[in-house]
Amino acid sequence: MINIIGHNIISPLGLTSEENYQSVIRGRSALHLYDDKFGLHEAFCGSLINRGFIYEKASESGIDDDYSLFEKLAILSASGAIKDSGINPSDPNTIFILSTTKGNVDLLEENMHDERCYLHTSALRIADYFGNKANPIVVSNACISGVCAQIEGVRQLLSGLYSTAIIIGCDILSKFIISGFQSFKALSTKPCKPYDKDRTGLNLGEAAGTIILRKENSPASDWHYVASSIHNDANHISGPSRTGEGAFRVLQDIVRQIDKSELAFLNAHGTATAYNDEMESIAIGRADLSDIPLSGLKGYYGHTLGAAGIIETILSIMAIDEGIIIATRGYDKSGTSGKLYLSNQTRHTDKRSFIKILSGFGGSNAGICYEKGGRR
Amino acid sequence: METLIETLKNQIIDVLNLEDLKPEDIDAEAPLFGEGLGLDSIDALELIVLMEREYGIKLSNPAEGKEIFKSVASVADYVSKNRKK
Amino acid sequence: MKVISSIEITPEIIGNLSEYYRRNIGDYPKFFKMDGLCKTGFIASEILLQSLPADIKSDIAIVLFNRSGSLVTDRKYQQTITSEENYFPSPAIFVYTLANIVTGEIAIRHKIMGESSFYIMSENDTGLQNDIAMECYLTSNPSMVLTGWVEYENDEDFYAHLRLLSK
Repeated sequence: MINIIGHNIISPLGLTSEENYQSVIRGRSALHLYDDKFGLHEAFCGSLINRGFIYEKASESGIDDDYSLFEKLAILSASGAIKDSGINPSDPNTIFILSTTKGNVDLLEENMHDERCYLHTSALRIADYFGNKANPIVVSNACISGVCAQIEGVRQLLSGLYSTAIIIGCDILSKFIISGFQSFKALSTKPCKPYDKDRTGLNLGEAAGTIILRKENSPASDWHYVASSIHNDANHISGPSRTGEGAFRVLQDIVRQIDKSELAFLNAHGTATAYNDEMESIAIGRADLSDIPLSGLKGYYGHTLGAAGIIETILSIMAIDEGIIIATRGYDKSGTSGKLYLSNQTRHTDKRSFIKILSGFGGSNAGICYEKGGRR
Repeated sequence: METLIETLKNQIIDVLNLEDLKPEDIDAEAPLFGEGLGLDSIDALELIVLMEREYGIKLSNPAEGKEIFKSVASVADYVSKNRKK
Repeated sequence: MKVISSIEITPEIIGNLSEYYRRNIGDYPKFFKMDGLCKTGFIASEILLQSLPADIKSDIAIVLFNRSGSLVTDRKYQQTITSEENYFPSPAIFVYTLANIVTGEIAIRHKIMGESSFYIMSENDTGLQNDIAMECYLTSNPSMVLTGWVEYENDEDFYAHLRLLSK
């Protein structure tokens, strides 16, 4: 069995999974309007980490100044999860997997040839901090990277090559990333409204999240992996498929392998762009999951890119541990053609599994299902 | 107007990388999207950048572009009325 | 693991990418919108996938690797936002600042709806790539896996070594 044995979230809402979870269930959002940031020509609404605070924490933890902001965040998050799980990160049977869309791309502004912009170089530096000698794997699948990295972790463990996988998802924001999304006219200057009739686009956020997976022979007493899937829409490099083909196939693959009656909720992408949310509603309908509670977390953090799949998985786990379905902040009135079972209030559940799905640029879609406790 | 249409054709070919097309291959009245040149949503966004860079016209909402970007002739018409440079 | 077919392309082997496209493909004008990384992956995959039947193609997993991700295009995009007076972020360049777009371009061209994944590694290690690619079979059941290395620096310096694998 592939078990989750530790996790951590670092975001503007806290430095641990617990701090983040407590903020989220209290309805706190990290989203703010920034109108004079990074030398951008337009204002944006997003969630930014306090850089000074991260530098201070990094220095307290003895992380060398040579590490970039992105690397410091990734290391701090991994350290939190490692502490949580009690494992030895330098064990030769442990591999680091890094999920990021743009890594150190902010460094291009100063130096177009900064070696740290090579993502694997950055991953090696992070693994090296922990004295880990295994060759790390970098997953760079745009917005779906965080789920793909977990799937890669599962596969590394199933293949028997490693017994423990430390999976870090991290992205920071910069002029580069925000101006790009602005050129796509994809950003809202207000806190996003996932799946809502009046949604006006997405917000971007910064975060790092870490999940540690371990292969164990004994039946799990806690959270374990059940199923996963990745599919391409084969439709368009930036526009979501009108039929939700890839996301539908992901859901169909997963539903086929699980006990649907134990499904507490579907934690979807819900970026609050017109096309993404509509596409998801169609895919969810086609997969016959319209009656399963749906939850979207972008209203708390915005889209945290390579971290999104990791932090949204962690919050889903913590919610089921407490028997709740997190409110979809920002959602108000139904705004998709497919029926969705949404609420902007906390709901209760006594079920034990969930599916996390993501979709993104490149036409890619990914999903993963975890379950609490051993199979009955 | 003829010169503006000619200039626009060249600019469109250039920014949208319509490599194997020549200005005379583009019918000024023919639809740019869908059938016509087969342009897509990213091309529409790139045309918004072209409008701002070359003519100082700011379109904040891609929906506005729909009418304007119908054909090269409609772009030329809009540019001639709204250009700031 | 079976290697069904494989292909290597370099400027020495195929010459200029656009000229190769015009000579041998020619029916996909979107090619000219792609960045160099996508053009390189597109041409190499075209050679391997051309003759495969559609039903096999629709379930292929695409698992590609390189060292520099989309760094060449990242630098190009950075130039569109560096100058204050000449600040015009380009959506058509930005979309290619994601390395996995090359997997999407191949998927669109061949109607491949299987997995698509992009990994970044420091070394072009064929054995490691094949291992990671074949791991797809641990959690899914693709008809074949298209895997390999694809790297583009400029028109005189590109390289792809792609392989079609099956169980």
